[in-house]
Amino acid sequence: MKKLFKIFAITLVGSLLFGACDKIEENEYVVFGGAAGTWYDGDGVADHSQRAFLEKYTGVRCTNCPKADDAIATAQAAYNGKLIAVAIHDSSVFTTPFVDSPDLRTDDGDAWSKALGVFSAGSYPAAIVSRTPATTGWDLFTPTSGIESRVDAIVNQPASIAIAVESKLEEGAVTIGVDLEFLQDVDGELTLTLLLMEDGIVATQVQPDGTRQTDYTHNHVLRDVITDLWGLDVEADGQTGTARFVQVKYDRYDEDWDLTKCHVVAFVSDKATKRVLNVAECEVQ
Amino acid sequence: MNKKLITLLALLASTALMPLMAQGIMGGHVTGNIQMDGQISHRDTTIGASEVPEKLLMNARADILYTNGDFSAGLRFEAYQHPMLGFNSQYKGQGLANYFVSYKTQDFGITAGYYYEQFGNGMVLRAYEDRYLGLDNALLGFNVYYRPWDGVTFKGLVGKQRVYWNIGEGLVRGLDAEVSLNDVVKRWSEATTRVTLGGSFVSKYEEDESIASTIPGYKLNLPKNVGAGAVRMDLAHGGFGLQAEYAMKGQDPNIMNDYIYKNGNALWVSASYSQKGLSANLQAKRVDNMGYKSVRSQTGEMLYINYIPAINKEQTYAFLTMYPYATQSTGEMGLQGDFMYKFKKETLLGGKYGTDLHINSSIITALDTTYLGGRGTNGYESSYFGTGELYYGDLTVEIAKKLSNNVKFAFTYGYVVFNPIVEGHEGDLHHNNVLVGDVTWKLNKHNVLRFEAEWMGSDSQYDKEVDDKRCGDWIMGLVEYNFAKSWFVSASDQYCYNDGVGNYYNLSVGYNKGAMRLQVGYGKQREGLLCIGGVCRQVPASNGLTFSLTHSF
Repeated sequence: MKKLFKIFAITLVGSLLFGACDKIEENEYVVFGGAAGTWYDGDGVADHSQRAFLEKYTGVRCTNCPKADDAIATAQAAYNGKLIAVAIHDSSVFTTPFVDSPDLRTDDGDAWSKALGVFSAGSYPAAIVSRTPATTGWDLFTPTSGIESRVDAIVNQPASIAIAVESKLEEGAVTIGVDLEFLQDVDGELTLTLLLMEDGIVATQVQPDGTRQTDYTHNHVLRDVITDLWGLDVEADGQTGTARFVQVKYDRYDEDWDLTKCHVVAFVSDKATKRVLNVAECEVQ
Repeated sequence: MNKKLITLLALLASTALMPLMAQGIMGGHVTGNIQMDGQISHRDTTIGASEVPEKLLMNARADILYTNGDFSAGLRFEAYQHPMLGFNSQYKGQGLANYFVSYKTQDFGITAGYYYEQFGNGMVLRAYEDRYLGLDNALLGFNVYYRPWDGVTFKGLVGKQRVYWNIGEGLVRGLDAEVSLNDVVKRWSEATTRVTLGGSFVSKYEEDESIASTIPGYKLNLPKNVGAGAVRMDLAHGGFGLQAEYAMKGQDPNIMNDYIYKNGNALWVSASYSQKGLSANLQAKRVDNMGYKSVRSQTGEMLYINYIPAINKEQTYAFLTMYPYATQSTGEMGLQGDFMYKFKKETLLGGKYGTDLHINSSIITALDTTYLGGRGTNGYESSYFGTGELYYGDLTVEIAKKLSNNVKFAFTYGYVVFNPIVEGHEGDLHHNNVLVGDVTWKLNKHNVLRFEAEWMGSDSQYDKEVDDKRCGDWIMGLVEYNFAKSWFVSASDQYCYNDGVGNYYNLSVGYNKGAMRLQVGYGKQREGLLCIGGVCRQVPASNGLTFSLTHSF
């Protein structure tokens, strides 16, 4: 009987280790999946620029993050609109907000951080340009240097898809219109992701010397991913010359956000590889 | 490359291998088998066969196994250049499809690489391969077993599944325990009743993805970890046996159940009795939402983690296999009875040599369900003992008798009722009556003739829009001649003489010598389904040459 007890105990422990399953409550079977819209034939895009999309994973308790902010700001000025950056505060130990200071973390940013391996790498600041893969995993790097070579590799190529975005705030909702034009044949399924980011947020930030600066200005901070986290499906045949247009309405923003300082970023990416093919941004008008 | 370099490399290689050879690692033995199947098919509008642009299609594989004591290692090279008709085009290509190293003793074993495994009947885990179905659910990872005491076996595994030439994203973890009570409890060791109990736990992990719900703007909140568990028992007492397994699965919205959140469960029970000259078996099965794959959006037969045992007889005669039943893992209920009796020699029904009687019948229905909602809901409720529409039913009566020292005769009557909904399209039930006569005549030690005649009467009629070429009344004849120890030749024809279309003739010749077998055939293949154990593959029509070469060493 002792043996039977041991067998039972081993089986029980094993089942706890191996038998993991998630239980979802009935009222949570469906969740908001992001704003979506209907695709129509479009008029094309005048600006055929190839732009790069830089995601900076950062935190208010990260000492080197202000250096990265400076380096990115310098690069953005140099690339004159061809480098679009977003600052993402995930749920690492570096992002815990200080008392009386705004919480800049988002669930969406945290999900991206985990999916791209930033969170598990645990090194901040970290960045990736246009979700470029490395030999294994993603081409994550510390954005205090090395930005230019990665951005050059993107923006010096001809664009396969041109993208333009415009937005307008009316009756409490932001109406966002995105135009795509295929400049080359593109295989595979594509997705369009829209996000909202805010400039000029004042929050405490640890500085490289270890001190806390309470009036640090945080720019291009991710506030929300407007669409689904991985975007909405692009309905297009992928043939050169095809132009498509989609309009999306967004009203799930927080009242504390200052929409006059917000930008909408739109990027189109390969659904399978998640690589960003092109990106555009506009102010919320 | 010059000779000096070759000599140097050979020297280095032999030096490096010397310690291995000293340990005897190089002293094992190698076994394996090779199989090549090929097909040339022409366009034939009368049977719906399409032109094959490649002209020649071929599936080939070579399995090599190295064994040395408790250690073994193996690999399999597969080539689909290009896949034969009916095999998924994603197999196109060639390469190393399977490799592993393994160390196994009586009490402990570990395999790294690709492996196959089954817990119990497979209702929560069965990784297996069937080359004729084009199915390979091998797991890539680690598989361990451990027997700490007599009669106790633990198994554990972690891995990802093969899907054609790729590896599925879903991660599978599993644990199984099996205990023979008679070995574990001393005072039961001599008992005539033997009892074995078992339990399995499996969990799959899959990343989140965006799947739209029926509410605009909302998506499904998907479980990333989906667990399944099962308990089973095997009881034997004299000629009586009772086996049962009950499985449960947690919330698993997937493409098979249209993303509903209902828990799954399945019950399988088998009771049998046997004694000399008689055996009887009764099986029952109830399956409710038990389709379990490592990738929730995968369609087709790949990436199944589990397997639902089939409960209907696996037929062999052509017209009895024309409407095979494919297991409905989303929900079904079935019952099967099987009875075999041998009338003794020198009795009225047994005659001089005895007579074998085999009766088998099965019936499979849908579940009795109440609709609750579609995607993103619990889907439906089901009554546990209630039944829904009929899916499939059959009755087979076989009488086999030896007429003389050289002649054997078998007569089979079969009745099949089939609901086309199990193949995914609406339609009336098909009712088929089948008669088969099978005579084997042994001319001498090396020459055997076999004749087979079949008839099928069906109430189904050919409809051009549905284009089901199985419909109508059929006759078939087959002659097979085995001669000169190693050769055989056969000719057959299936002809639809009423309410249908089709004339399918086939000629084949084969040669067997030792472990080698070569077969070449020419003829027409009717489109239909090939099912093995309730798992099916679509077989398209073809007209042309087929060949097969297998060899073991």
